[in-house]
Amino acid sequence: MKNIKYYAFPSTVKEAVALLLNKKYKAMALAGGTLVAKTLPETVETYLDIKNVPIKNIKLLGGNLVIGAGATFDEIDRSKLCRGWADGVLSGAAAKCSSQLIRNMATIGGNVARPHSFNIFPVVLLGLDAKVRLATCSGNRLVEFQDLYSSGLGLRPGMDSLITEIIIPVKTKKWKCEFIKLAKTESSWESYITLLFSAEKKGKALTQVRVAVGALSPRPFRAPEAEKALLAGTGAAAAAGAFASELEAARAGEYRSSAASSLFKRFAASVG
Amino acid sequence: MKKSIIEMHKGIFEITVTVNGEKKELAVKNGEFLLDALRRYGWKGIKKGCDTGDCGSCAVILNGRPVLGCLAPAVTAHNGEITTIEGLGTVHAPHALQEAFVEAGAVQCGFCIPGMILSSRHLLDRTPDPTEAEIRKALDGNLCRCTGYVKQVEAVKNAAKKLAGTKK
Repeated sequence: MKNIKYYAFPSTVKEAVALLLNKKYKAMALAGGTLVAKTLPETVETYLDIKNVPIKNIKLLGGNLVIGAGATFDEIDRSKLCRGWADGVLSGAAAKCSSQLIRNMATIGGNVARPHSFNIFPVVLLGLDAKVRLATCSGNRLVEFQDLYSSGLGLRPGMDSLITEIIIPVKTKKWKCEFIKLAKTESSWESYITLLFSAEKKGKALTQVRVAVGALSPRPFRAPEAEKALLAGTGAAAAAGAFASELEAARAGEYRSSAASSLFKRFAASVG
Repeated sequence: MKKSIIEMHKGIFEITVTVNGEKKELAVKNGEFLLDALRRYGWKGIKKGCDTGDCGSCAVILNGRPVLGCLAPAVTAHNGEITTIEGLGTVHAPHALQEAFVEAGAVQCGFCIPGMILSSRHLLDRTPDPTEAEIRKALDGNLCRCTGYVKQVEAVKNAAKKLAGTKK
């Protein structure tokens, strides 16, 4: 923070984006600041505090669940809408992050904008087919969550654009979901692995399956072979075997591969 | 139009904050965190423990919710309202939580207590009759190395009862 020359506290999205794009300021957006307040890049000269920007609401829009990027972990944990969505995995994940004091400060937008292997929401959002709305120099842009970190996006959220909303599609509302964080203690920020399993069942058949894995790399990834195996109805053991192979290929190590595939087997059996 | 940007001069940001109900002009250093700024100005109830956001000793209530003073850049408190432990009660007129902590024997070395009481106060403000699980969750960011948290949980329960009684 030693290079900071300005403190800006805009009250609208438009104003915030204008400040980000103004070359004079070399600004970076910060919400809760828990991830980056102590580790701001040296090139940043303006601390752009977005706490007054009205992007905190959690609401239903067109059937989709829309979470404002400024919503804190605590607000997501306590939100009735989030608790009632996809077996409550969003609230459950928020509650499993670090401590109450961190949950009071940290926001979902910050957690998503700054890729880090231990961030809890990216794996959840990947497993729920989420979309992200960004305010950019040329207006709003809606991107698939899985494309947020790709170089093809051409944007650096928080530096030249602002994440304003996270959209969870209506189709996932009734999905059977499980979020698991394997860590030394419940409140540890560091995790050995984070997992989001989700499935949609119509009648006796599974129609959708997502297996998302976090904490192994800065960006979470999906396990397509495990998803295919479960959809094909090959049985929980075979699907878990496919998942273990994918984890080994991702260099998860024996403990993580073994623990995660066992947990997946349990989930697969529960939905199969 | 309301001014929404302040510039640093000679390494200092001039900010306006309300601390324990009193409006103050503070000169905070560039890169300074709320914990250090408040202590420098005399609010010593905020404690410096880990300085990495893990122990909760530096908790203060900023704009209605407890935050970690060691992770909140001081400048971000501009135009904000802060409550430190000094704003809760005094030796002669303690807050119900302060009384309850002493009566329950929840205070040993005392270093973690300001943060713990502020977290408890926020809990009771929004959940006047909390369950044990809710108390433990609200205090999960306030580490105590002296006790096993049993007495603090008891103290919060007792304070909740006392506060409920005074409201009747």
